[in-house]
Amino acid sequence: MGEFQVHRVRFFAYVPAGIRCVAHSARSARLALARTDGALEVYNFAANYFQEKGIPGHETRSAEALCWAAGDRLFGAGLGGDISEYDLEKLRVKYSLDGFGGPIWSMAADPSGTQLAVGCEDGSVKLFQVLPDKIQFERSLDRQKGRVMSLSWHPSGTRIAVGSIDLLRVFDVKSGHAIQRILVDRRPQGLYSRECVVWSVAFLSDGTIVSSDSVGKVQFWDSEKGTLLETHPVSSSAVLCLAVSEGEDSIVVGTSEGAVHQFQLLLVKWGSAERKWVRTKPFQHHTHDVRAVAHSATALISGGLDAQLVIRPLMERIDGKGYDAALRKFTFPHRRLVSCAKKAGLLLFQFPQHLELWRLGATNSAGKDGDILPVSRAPEHLLQLKSKGPEHICCSCISLCGSWIAYSTASRLHLHRVHLENGSVSVKRVSKVPKLLCSAHQLLCSADSTSLFVASDQGAVHVLKLLEPGGCGHLQTLRPNSGSAEAVYLLAASADGDWLAAAGGDWEINIYSLRHFKPHCTVPAYNCAVTALAIHPVTNNLVITHSDQQVFEFSIPDREYTTWSRKVQQHGLHKGWLERDTPITHITFNPKQPAHILLHDTHMFCILDKSLPLPDDATPLMNQTSLKQLSEKARRGHAHAFKICKKYQVRVLM
Amino acid sequence: MTRRRRAMLEKEAAVPEPPADAAASSEEDEAPEEVTFERARAAAETERKRAGETARRDRELLKEKRRRREELFKEQKKRKLLPENVLEELTSGPQINNNNLSDTTKQGENQEESENKNEECNRGQDHEGKKQVVRLKGSYMAVRLKDHDLTSQHQKMAQDFIQSHLYGPGTNRTTANQFFSFANKKSPVKKAAVQFVNKSWGTEKKQKAKQFKKRWMSMKMVSSV
Repeated sequence: MGEFQVHRVRFFAYVPAGIRCVAHSARSARLALARTDGALEVYNFAANYFQEKGIPGHETRSAEALCWAAGDRLFGAGLGGDISEYDLEKLRVKYSLDGFGGPIWSMAADPSGTQLAVGCEDGSVKLFQVLPDKIQFERSLDRQKGRVMSLSWHPSGTRIAVGSIDLLRVFDVKSGHAIQRILVDRRPQGLYSRECVVWSVAFLSDGTIVSSDSVGKVQFWDSEKGTLLETHPVSSSAVLCLAVSEGEDSIVVGTSEGAVHQFQLLLVKWGSAERKWVRTKPFQHHTHDVRAVAHSATALISGGLDAQLVIRPLMERIDGKGYDAALRKFTFPHRRLVSCAKKAGLLLFQFPQHLELWRLGATNSAGKDGDILPVSRAPEHLLQLKSKGPEHICCSCISLCGSWIAYSTASRLHLHRVHLENGSVSVKRVSKVPKLLCSAHQLLCSADSTSLFVASDQGAVHVLKLLEPGGCGHLQTLRPNSGSAEAVYLLAASADGDWLAAAGGDWEINIYSLRHFKPHCTVPAYNCAVTALAIHPVTNNLVITHSDQQVFEFSIPDREYTTWSRKVQQHGLHKGWLERDTPITHITFNPKQPAHILLHDTHMFCILDKSLPLPDDATPLMNQTSLKQLSEKARRGHAHAFKICKKYQVRVLM
Repeated sequence: MTRRRRAMLEKEAAVPEPPADAAASSEEDEAPEEVTFERARAAAETERKRAGETARRDRELLKEKRRRREELFKEQKKRKLLPENVLEELTSGPQINNNNLSDTTKQGENQEESENKNEECNRGQDHEGKKQVVRLKGSYMAVRLKDHDLTSQHQKMAQDFIQSHLYGPGTNRTTANQFFSFANKKSPVKKAAVQFVNKSWGTEKKQKAKQFKKRWMSMKMVSSV
């Protein structure tokens, strides 16, 4: 008889949306990423590429261009013709402004970060001034024929290179006139030739313009004379995007075949001063079009329509083998999309526009460890809840008994009461959900299903009381003492209903006492993002995992780290454990074994046994298969705290 | 020839003929001798009467036809309109609405109405939207056409542009078939092109090949014979 019954849930048909554009900010080491469904994500490179923030998508609003300006402010513009600023603390669009030039194809901030240049459908380039709390239209450069597909500022901020259809233009910012017009040749093709779209341009400081077009060429032009310097045919189809490194010695381009190429400025001959752009490295990590690339100081970043974000480090720019030296691929969000009603055996899946409720399959037979049991009752699709309106669902949860379902869009919280009676399902919407002033970022039901915790802006957590026939009322609002401005994105409640832990965007973890509705204490600050939280049902220890793979255990009643946690910190975690690349997204506990902590991320599942000794760097971390071949006695000698299973592929939630 | 013509004339005389015809024929040839004046006059009279009658009948028939068609049109129009009860509800709707609605919504409605140019249909729409709970059982929504304005049209055009330039003709993309075939050939385990591995793919091509083979064979047969 095995210790667990594993349900392999393969009916969660979640399809992440393709990546449309990315913007890298070297200053704050963050990457903003917009998906085709309008969702926005921010990855923090300093916190091991953790997906720090997410703004849910919207049907009509999708960003076509993103840029960072004026420090850490993020702007986006889309085909709707609006320029919007994102509020990264409250995780929503702060305001949007009509550009009055039709759909916007491109946007770039000037080197000083005080002006935004926007390229519109009607052929105009508009300049917007970035003011402390808004943006303001400044003026428009001379309007030309043809939509402005791409634009780039000269590092001095005096000129703008614009890529349009069949041609490139250079504008003088001061006078607003076009001072150069360069024709780009079309692909020779039969009787008629198809127009050539300049998908992307970059203006280098020596006056060279780099363009990538739909013919499949990367071309270098002299902006003064308007002549072609070099042509590199890269692909037989289009080259969709390009990005230049800060030192202007490396360029990354993405093609519609899924290939990413690097160009480098290299010496022609050893000892000579002449330098030339050379196509050096091809990478094929994507299966579909690469529509967005970025160049960080040490890595090439590419995002494709296959929904993958790939961070490919450049070995010549990294010294030594460290955390940065590994290839990273992100497909799934680092957020909880599945919630489980443990008592009822139900799973709730969150999709952008709807929720699905499934009942797990069951078996009557029992088998040995590793046996595949026959399924006597197939998993059953019980319910599909569609959300109305153009906004996407940002979070959802189901209570442990499976009788309450809550979900939230950017503007509204919805609550449903589910009745499950021998096979038949009925859902009743709770009509009078208290109107909260701000949106919900995370939802959690208490263990006894009597209250709902709604994580909100400015570190606040609202407590709603769930009333039995199908109603609810606002009970309390918990606020941290420190008065943080960031939204709460992780919640954990204790099984006895006394404690609630909430982690906000500034990585501060507050613990509240639910008996008195008062802040109890805060966990000592740690300078890395929190990826998962859970409170042990027996000991009330809070287990915290961070994006640098550290695991802490904090005793809530004693308000300090536990002795085991201190021991772990003194001993240090295994090297193999620290080098893993995906963050732990979920923590749970084994009710039969209080010393076990169950952790999982996208690639593995781990049982952390606190009673066993910690491994040192000499012993292999993944030793479960070798342990199985040893005798019972020898096994005990070799066992260590980390028991890792990598059997199953992609795991969104356990 | 003359005998033949006479026989024809006789036949014409036996059968009463329209007067105009008779006149024409009398102009062409000499008048028939055998027919007496009285008889001819009587025949002509009856003929005229009959012609008048047929003309009247035709007119009546036409009238009837027209009327019937008009009725049909009316019926069709009625069928195109909403069912009776809905029409009734629509006509009685405004009073109910005005009684039930609060002042603010009434104001909003008035504003909307004053804004709308073609009031007739818009009013109907508005009431449909307002009275959603009463009549519309499904989750329908009443939408003003005004809201779907130029921006969404521009957006649609821009999306079409990008779609055609990314996936339209002339983009030189490989087809899925080519891509997978290439992958099959490059993989350590060599396989045939996907078109031949996967039965569901390339059916059109296979059909064409089959037909070509048939035609070729028949051609060969013919040439050999």
